[in-house]
Amino acid sequence: MTRATEEPPGGTPDADESLGDRAARAVLEFREGRTDALTDLVREATPLLWHTVRAQGVDRDVADDVVQSTWAALVRHAETIAEPKAVLKWLLVTARRAAWETVRKGRADLRRRTELPDDVTEGSAALPDAGPGPEAEVLNDERDRILWSSLRRLPERCQELLRLVSLADRPDYKAISASIGMPVGSIGATRGRCLAKLRAVLTEQGEASWT
Amino acid sequence: MSRKHENAWGAPVPGEDEPLDERDLAVLDRLGRAVQVVDPVPESLVERSLFAMTLARLEAEIMELQQIEAPAGSVRGDAPPLEARTITFTHERLTVMIALSADDDGAHVRLDGWVAPAATLVVELRQPGGERTTTADDDGRFAFTAVDRGPTSLLVRLPDGGDVTVATPVIEL
Repeated sequence: MTRATEEPPGGTPDADESLGDRAARAVLEFREGRTDALTDLVREATPLLWHTVRAQGVDRDVADDVVQSTWAALVRHAETIAEPKAVLKWLLVTARRAAWETVRKGRADLRRRTELPDDVTEGSAALPDAGPGPEAEVLNDERDRILWSSLRRLPERCQELLRLVSLADRPDYKAISASIGMPVGSIGATRGRCLAKLRAVLTEQGEASWT
Repeated sequence: MSRKHENAWGAPVPGEDEPLDERDLAVLDRLGRAVQVVDPVPESLVERSLFAMTLARLEAEIMELQQIEAPAGSVRGDAPPLEARTITFTHERLTVMIALSADDDGAHVRLDGWVAPAATLVVELRQPGGERTTTADDDGRFAFTAVDRGPTSLLVRLPDGGDVTVATPVIEL
Protein backbone atom coordinates (compact mmCIF):
# COMPACT_ATOMS: atom_id res chain seq x y z
CA MET A 1 0.00 0.00 0.00
CA THR A 2 1.53 3.25 -1.05
CA ARG A 3 0.71 6.49 0.56
CA ALA A 4 1.68 9.18 -1.86
CA THR A 5 1.99 12.66 -0.50
CA GLU A 6 2.96 13.95 -3.91
CA GLU A 7 1.24 13.97 -7.21
CA PRO A 8 1.81 10.71 -9.06
CA PRO A 9 4.14 11.37 -11.98
CA GLY A 10 2.19 12.53 -15.00
CA GLY A 11 -1.03 12.06 -13.01
CA THR A 12 -4.17 10.82 -14.70
CA PRO A 13 -7.04 13.22 -15.35
CA ASP A 14 -8.77 11.85 -12.24
CA ALA A 15 -5.76 12.23 -10.00
CA ASP A 16 -7.04 15.46 -8.51
CA GLU A 17 -10.58 14.25 -8.04
CA SER A 18 -11.34 13.77 -4.36
CA LEU A 19 -13.80 11.28 -2.93
CA GLY A 20 -16.19 14.20 -2.46
CA ASP A 21 -15.92 15.05 -6.17
CA ARG A 22 -16.58 11.45 -7.15
CA ALA A 23 -19.63 11.38 -4.88
CA ALA A 24 -20.99 14.52 -6.55
CA ARG A 25 -20.44 13.08 -10.01
CA ALA A 26 -22.03 9.75 -9.01
CA VAL A 27 -25.25 11.44 -7.92
CA LEU A 28 -25.42 13.67 -10.98
CA GLU A 29 -24.98 10.66 -13.25
CA PHE A 30 -27.50 8.67 -11.22
CA ARG A 31 -30.07 11.38 -11.86
CA GLU A 32 -29.46 10.89 -15.54
CA GLY A 33 -30.04 7.17 -15.20
CA ARG A 34 -26.40 6.05 -15.17
CA THR A 35 -25.57 4.03 -12.07
CA ASP A 36 -21.97 2.85 -12.60
CA ALA A 37 -20.34 5.76 -10.79
CA LEU A 38 -22.70 5.33 -7.85
CA THR A 39 -21.86 1.63 -7.65
CA ASP A 40 -18.16 2.54 -7.60
CA LEU A 41 -18.84 5.11 -4.91
CA VAL A 42 -20.57 2.50 -2.73
CA ARG A 43 -17.52 0.27 -3.02
CA GLU A 44 -15.11 3.07 -2.25
CA ALA A 45 -16.94 4.93 0.52
CA THR A 46 -18.51 2.04 2.46
CA PRO A 47 -15.36 1.52 4.60
CA LEU A 48 -15.39 5.21 5.56
CA LEU A 49 -19.09 4.99 6.46
CA TRP A 50 -18.54 1.76 8.37
CA HIS A 51 -15.78 3.14 10.55
CA THR A 52 -17.62 6.42 11.02
CA VAL A 53 -20.63 4.52 12.35
CA ARG A 54 -18.57 2.14 14.47
CA ALA A 55 -16.82 5.10 16.09
CA GLN A 56 -20.19 6.14 17.53
CA GLY A 57 -20.15 3.03 19.69
CA VAL A 58 -22.64 0.79 17.87
CA ASP A 59 -22.12 -2.93 17.49
CA ARG A 60 -21.40 -4.62 14.17
CA ASP A 61 -24.96 -5.77 13.45
CA VAL A 62 -26.36 -2.30 13.98
CA ALA A 63 -23.54 -0.64 12.04
CA ASP A 64 -24.26 -2.96 9.14
CA ASP A 65 -27.89 -1.89 9.18
CA VAL A 66 -27.06 1.81 9.49
CA VAL A 67 -24.65 1.74 6.55
CA GLN A 68 -27.02 0.07 4.12
CA SER A 69 -29.90 2.29 5.27
CA THR A 70 -27.74 5.34 4.62
CA TRP A 71 -27.07 4.25 1.04
CA ALA A 72 -30.75 3.50 0.53
CA ALA A 73 -31.59 6.96 1.87
CA LEU A 74 -29.22 8.49 -0.67
CA VAL A 75 -31.18 6.88 -3.50
CA ARG A 76 -34.45 8.17 -2.08
CA HIS A 77 -33.03 11.68 -1.78
CA ALA A 78 -30.94 11.71 -4.94
CA GLU A 79 -33.41 13.84 -6.85
CA THR A 80 -33.76 16.44 -4.15
CA ILE A 81 -30.21 16.98 -2.93
CA ALA A 82 -29.69 20.61 -3.84
CA GLU A 83 -25.93 20.67 -3.65
CA PRO A 84 -24.31 17.58 -5.19
CA LYS A 85 -20.90 18.78 -3.99
CA ALA A 86 -22.10 18.08 -0.45
CA VAL A 87 -23.25 14.51 -1.11
CA LEU A 88 -20.39 12.85 0.72
CA LYS A 89 -20.85 15.11 3.70
CA TRP A 90 -24.57 14.33 3.63
CA LEU A 91 -23.85 10.60 3.67
CA LEU A 92 -21.48 10.85 6.61
CA VAL A 93 -23.70 13.13 8.65
CA THR A 94 -26.74 10.94 7.95
CA ALA A 95 -24.84 7.84 9.04
CA ARG A 96 -23.56 9.48 12.20
CA ARG A 97 -27.00 10.69 13.19
CA ALA A 98 -28.54 7.27 12.58
CA ALA A 99 -25.81 5.72 14.70
CA TRP A 100 -26.40 8.19 17.53
CA GLU A 101 -30.09 7.47 17.40
CA THR A 102 -29.56 3.74 17.84
CA VAL A 103 -27.09 4.32 20.66
CA ARG A 104 -29.50 6.61 22.45
CA LYS A 105 -32.40 4.21 21.94
CA GLY A 106 -30.28 1.27 23.08
CA ARG A 107 -29.43 3.09 26.30
CA ALA A 108 -33.05 4.01 26.90
CA ASP A 109 -34.09 0.38 26.34
CA LEU A 110 -31.38 -0.86 28.63
CA ARG A 111 -32.45 1.55 31.34
CA ARG A 112 -36.05 0.46 31.00
CA ARG A 113 -35.16 -3.19 31.14
CA THR A 114 -32.80 -3.00 34.08
CA GLU A 115 -34.48 -0.13 35.94
CA LEU A 116 -31.08 1.00 37.10
CA PRO A 117 -30.31 4.65 37.73
CA ASP A 118 -28.84 6.53 34.81
CA ASP A 119 -25.18 5.81 35.29
CA VAL A 120 -24.36 5.61 31.62
CA THR A 121 -21.87 8.18 30.43
CA GLU A 122 -23.61 10.60 28.13
CA GLY A 123 -22.03 12.81 25.54
CA SER A 124 -19.56 11.51 23.05
CA ALA A 125 -20.04 7.81 22.54
CA ALA A 126 -17.34 5.44 23.65
CA LEU A 127 -15.39 3.62 21.01
CA PRO A 128 -16.31 -0.03 20.93
CA ASP A 129 -14.51 -2.15 23.49
CA ALA A 130 -12.55 0.55 25.29
CA GLY A 131 -9.13 -0.51 26.51
CA PRO A 132 -6.50 -2.53 24.68
CA GLY A 133 -8.97 -5.35 25.11
CA PRO A 134 -9.46 -8.71 23.50
CA GLU A 135 -10.05 -7.11 20.09
CA ALA A 136 -6.29 -6.80 19.64
CA GLU A 137 -5.94 -10.55 19.95
CA VAL A 138 -6.82 -10.94 16.30
CA LEU A 139 -3.58 -9.13 15.49
CA ASN A 140 -0.90 -11.74 15.00
CA ASP A 141 2.07 -9.44 14.78
CA GLU A 142 3.49 -8.19 18.08
CA ARG A 143 4.25 -4.79 16.57
CA ASP A 144 0.64 -4.47 15.43
CA ARG A 145 -0.54 -5.24 18.94
CA ILE A 146 1.79 -2.62 20.39
CA LEU A 147 0.57 -0.11 17.82
CA TRP A 148 -3.04 -0.91 18.66
CA SER A 149 -2.62 -0.63 22.41
CA SER A 150 -0.70 2.62 21.88
CA LEU A 151 -3.55 3.98 19.79
CA ARG A 152 -6.02 3.09 22.53
CA ARG A 153 -4.08 5.27 24.97
CA LEU A 154 -4.74 8.40 22.91
CA PRO A 155 -7.73 10.70 23.43
CA GLU A 156 -10.83 9.39 21.66
CA ARG A 157 -10.79 12.20 19.11
CA CYS A 158 -7.29 11.21 18.09
CA GLN A 159 -8.26 7.55 17.84
CA GLU A 160 -11.21 8.33 15.58
CA LEU A 161 -9.22 10.69 13.41
CA LEU A 162 -6.21 8.43 12.95
CA ARG A 163 -8.35 5.37 12.21
CA LEU A 164 -10.12 7.24 9.43
CA VAL A 165 -6.95 8.87 8.09
CA SER A 166 -5.27 5.46 7.93
CA LEU A 167 -7.99 3.97 5.73
CA ALA A 168 -7.15 5.67 2.47
CA ASP A 169 -3.97 6.32 0.60
CA ARG A 170 -5.17 9.83 -0.07
CA PRO A 171 -7.71 10.63 2.64
CA ASP A 172 -10.39 13.19 1.84
CA TYR A 173 -9.97 15.43 4.86
CA LYS A 174 -13.19 17.29 4.23
CA ALA A 175 -15.02 13.98 4.36
CA ILE A 176 -13.22 13.00 7.54
CA SER A 177 -14.05 16.35 9.07
CA ALA A 178 -17.73 15.65 8.39
CA SER A 179 -17.54 12.13 9.69
CA ILE A 180 -16.10 12.99 13.08
CA GLY A 181 -17.61 16.46 13.40
CA MET A 182 -14.25 18.22 13.63
CA PRO A 183 -13.94 21.64 12.00
CA VAL A 184 -12.14 21.46 8.67
CA GLY A 185 -9.89 24.28 9.82
CA SER A 186 -8.35 22.30 12.64
CA ILE A 187 -8.12 18.86 11.10
CA GLY A 188 -4.65 19.22 9.60
CA ALA A 189 -3.10 20.45 12.82
CA THR A 190 -4.99 17.85 14.87
CA ARG A 191 -3.75 15.09 12.61
CA GLY A 192 -0.18 16.29 13.24
CA ARG A 193 -0.69 16.44 17.00
CA CYS A 194 -2.33 13.02 17.15
CA LEU A 195 0.42 11.42 15.10
CA ALA A 196 3.03 13.03 17.35
CA LYS A 197 1.24 11.66 20.43
CA LEU A 198 1.04 8.21 18.92
CA ARG A 199 4.71 8.27 18.05
CA ALA A 200 5.56 9.40 21.58
CA VAL A 201 3.64 6.46 23.05
CA LEU A 202 5.30 4.09 20.60
CA THR A 203 8.71 5.40 21.56
CA GLU A 204 7.87 4.81 25.24
CA GLN A 205 7.05 1.24 24.28
CA GLY A 206 10.46 0.91 22.72
CA GLU A 207 9.14 0.92 19.18
CA ALA A 208 11.41 3.54 17.70
CA SER A 209 11.95 2.32 14.18
CA TRP A 210 8.98 2.10 11.90
CA THR A 211 10.45 2.51 8.50
CA MET B 1 3.23 19.22 -6.09
CA SER B 2 0.92 20.53 -3.44
CA ARG B 3 -2.48 19.03 -3.94
CA LYS B 4 -5.29 21.25 -2.81
CA HIS B 5 -8.87 20.15 -2.59
CA GLU B 6 -10.42 23.38 -3.69
CA ASN B 7 -12.88 21.37 -5.71
CA ALA B 8 -15.21 19.50 -3.36
CA TRP B 9 -16.33 21.89 -0.65
CA GLY B 10 -14.69 25.17 -1.40
CA ALA B 11 -11.57 26.27 0.40
CA PRO B 12 -8.59 23.96 0.87
CA VAL B 13 -8.09 22.14 4.14
CA PRO B 14 -5.49 23.94 6.28
CA GLY B 15 -2.60 21.68 7.08
CA GLU B 16 -3.71 18.96 4.70
CA ASP B 17 -0.57 19.32 2.65
CA GLU B 18 1.79 19.41 5.56
CA PRO B 19 4.26 16.73 4.74
CA LEU B 20 4.22 13.51 6.70
CA ASP B 21 7.61 11.99 7.25
CA GLU B 22 8.56 8.40 6.56
CA ARG B 23 7.75 7.25 10.05
CA ASP B 24 4.32 8.90 10.04
CA LEU B 25 3.57 7.15 6.78
CA ALA B 26 4.80 3.83 8.09
CA VAL B 27 2.70 4.18 11.25
CA LEU B 28 -0.41 5.12 9.28
CA ASP B 29 0.16 2.31 6.83
CA ARG B 30 0.47 -0.27 9.59
CA LEU B 31 -2.47 1.25 11.46
CA GLY B 32 -4.65 1.06 8.35
CA ARG B 33 -3.97 -2.63 8.02
CA ALA B 34 -4.59 -3.21 11.74
CA VAL B 35 -7.95 -1.40 11.59
CA GLN B 36 -9.01 -3.69 8.79
CA VAL B 37 -8.07 -6.75 10.82
CA VAL B 38 -9.55 -5.65 14.15
CA ASP B 39 -12.79 -4.23 12.76
CA PRO B 40 -13.20 -5.45 9.19
CA VAL B 41 -15.99 -4.13 7.03
CA PRO B 42 -18.40 -7.10 6.74
CA GLU B 43 -17.61 -8.95 3.57
CA SER B 44 -20.96 -8.64 1.85
CA LEU B 45 -21.91 -5.17 3.13
CA VAL B 46 -21.24 -3.52 -0.23
CA GLU B 47 -23.40 -6.04 -2.09
CA ARG B 48 -26.22 -5.73 0.43
CA SER B 49 -26.02 -1.95 0.29
CA LEU B 50 -26.28 -2.03 -3.50
CA PHE B 51 -29.27 -4.33 -3.26
CA ALA B 52 -30.85 -2.06 -0.62
CA MET B 53 -30.41 0.83 -3.06
CA THR B 54 -32.21 -1.14 -5.74
CA LEU B 55 -35.05 -1.77 -3.31
CA ALA B 56 -35.09 1.88 -2.29
CA ARG B 57 -35.99 2.77 -5.84
CA LEU B 58 -39.23 0.84 -5.27
CA GLU B 59 -40.06 3.49 -2.69
CA ALA B 60 -40.95 1.05 0.07
CA GLU B 61 -40.69 2.19 3.68
CA ILE B 62 -37.82 0.39 5.33
CA MET B 63 -38.56 -1.43 8.56
CA GLU B 64 -36.26 -1.16 11.50
CA LEU B 65 -34.09 -4.06 12.53
CA GLN B 66 -35.14 -4.59 16.11
CA GLN B 67 -33.38 -7.63 17.33
CA ILE B 68 -31.23 -10.48 16.15
CA GLU B 69 -30.81 -13.58 18.17
CA ALA B 70 -28.02 -15.73 16.93
CA PRO B 71 -25.99 -18.56 18.36
CA ALA B 72 -23.04 -17.19 20.28
CA GLY B 73 -19.95 -16.63 18.22
CA SER B 74 -21.57 -16.00 14.88
CA VAL B 75 -21.23 -12.65 13.22
CA ARG B 76 -23.74 -11.44 10.70
CA GLY B 77 -22.40 -10.60 7.32
CA ASP B 78 -19.27 -12.68 7.74
CA ALA B 79 -18.56 -16.26 6.87
CA PRO B 80 -21.27 -18.86 6.37
CA PRO B 81 -23.80 -17.39 8.78
CA LEU B 82 -26.98 -17.97 10.40
CA GLU B 83 -28.71 -21.27 11.10
CA ALA B 84 -31.29 -20.94 13.83
CA ARG B 85 -31.28 -17.18 13.69
CA THR B 86 -34.32 -15.19 14.69
CA ILE B 87 -34.74 -11.61 13.51
CA THR B 88 -37.40 -9.07 14.36
CA PHE B 89 -38.23 -6.09 12.14
CA THR B 90 -40.54 -3.31 13.20
CA HIS B 91 -42.50 -0.56 11.51
CA GLU B 92 -45.04 1.70 13.17
CA ARG B 93 -47.88 -0.39 11.76
CA LEU B 94 -46.36 -3.83 11.41
CA THR B 95 -43.91 -6.21 13.03
CA VAL B 96 -42.30 -9.07 11.12
CA MET B 97 -40.39 -11.80 12.85
CA ILE B 98 -38.49 -14.43 10.93
CA ALA B 99 -36.74 -17.63 11.96
CA LEU B 100 -34.08 -19.06 9.68
CA SER B 101 -33.02 -22.66 9.45
CA ALA B 102 -31.11 -24.89 7.08
CA ASP B 103 -33.03 -26.47 4.24
CA ASP B 104 -31.93 -29.16 1.76
CA ASP B 105 -29.09 -30.24 4.03
CA GLY B 106 -27.85 -26.69 4.31
CA ALA B 107 -27.72 -25.94 0.61
CA HIS B 108 -30.66 -23.59 1.01
CA VAL B 109 -32.44 -21.74 3.77
CA ARG B 110 -35.92 -22.14 5.18
CA LEU B 111 -37.55 -18.94 6.33
CA ASP B 112 -40.53 -19.09 8.71
CA GLY B 113 -42.18 -15.78 9.42
CA TRP B 114 -44.97 -14.13 11.36
CA VAL B 115 -46.54 -10.76 10.75
CA ALA B 116 -48.24 -8.90 13.58
CA PRO B 117 -50.95 -7.79 13.82
CA ALA B 118 -51.94 -11.05 12.13
CA ALA B 119 -53.50 -10.59 8.72
CA THR B 120 -53.59 -12.40 5.40
CA LEU B 121 -50.98 -10.18 3.81
CA VAL B 122 -49.02 -10.80 0.66
CA VAL B 123 -45.34 -11.23 1.47
CA GLU B 124 -42.73 -10.90 -1.22
CA LEU B 125 -39.21 -12.28 -0.94
CA ARG B 126 -36.70 -10.31 -3.01
CA GLN B 127 -33.21 -11.40 -3.93
CA PRO B 128 -30.91 -10.07 -6.64
CA GLY B 129 -31.85 -13.15 -8.69
CA GLY B 130 -35.60 -12.62 -8.58
CA GLU B 131 -38.66 -12.55 -6.37
CA ARG B 132 -41.18 -14.98 -4.87
CA THR B 133 -44.52 -14.32 -3.27
CA THR B 134 -46.60 -16.02 -0.61
CA THR B 135 -49.54 -15.10 1.58
CA ALA B 136 -49.60 -15.08 5.37
CA ASP B 137 -52.38 -17.19 6.93
CA ASP B 138 -55.02 -16.00 9.40
CA ASP B 139 -52.48 -16.23 12.20
CA GLY B 140 -50.01 -14.14 10.25
CA ARG B 141 -47.74 -17.09 9.51
CA PHE B 142 -45.87 -17.55 6.27
CA ALA B 143 -42.89 -19.55 5.04
CA PHE B 144 -40.46 -19.74 2.15
CA THR B 145 -38.60 -22.98 1.61
CA ALA B 146 -35.45 -23.72 -0.37
CA VAL B 147 -34.42 -20.07 -0.44
CA ASP B 148 -31.09 -19.29 -2.07
CA ARG B 149 -28.39 -17.81 0.13
CA GLY B 150 -27.44 -14.19 -0.51
CA PRO B 151 -28.82 -10.70 0.07
CA THR B 152 -32.51 -10.91 0.84
CA SER B 153 -35.33 -8.55 1.72
CA LEU B 154 -39.01 -9.11 2.49
CA LEU B 155 -41.66 -6.72 1.23
CA VAL B 156 -45.12 -6.51 2.72
CA ARG B 157 -47.99 -4.43 1.38
CA LEU B 158 -49.90 -2.94 4.29
CA PRO B 159 -53.59 -3.74 4.65
CA ASP B 160 -55.71 -0.74 3.69
CA GLY B 161 -52.49 1.11 3.28
CA GLY B 162 -53.18 2.26 -0.22
CA ASP B 163 -49.85 1.98 -1.90
CA VAL B 164 -47.76 1.70 1.26
CA THR B 165 -45.24 -1.10 1.09
CA VAL B 166 -42.76 -1.83 3.84
CA ALA B 167 -39.50 -3.67 3.30
CA THR B 168 -37.05 -5.20 5.73
CA PRO B 169 -33.44 -4.09 5.59
CA VAL B 170 -31.39 -6.40 3.41
CA ILE B 171 -30.08 -9.37 5.34
CA GLU B 172 -27.53 -11.90 4.23
CA LEU B 173 -28.87 -15.46 4.21
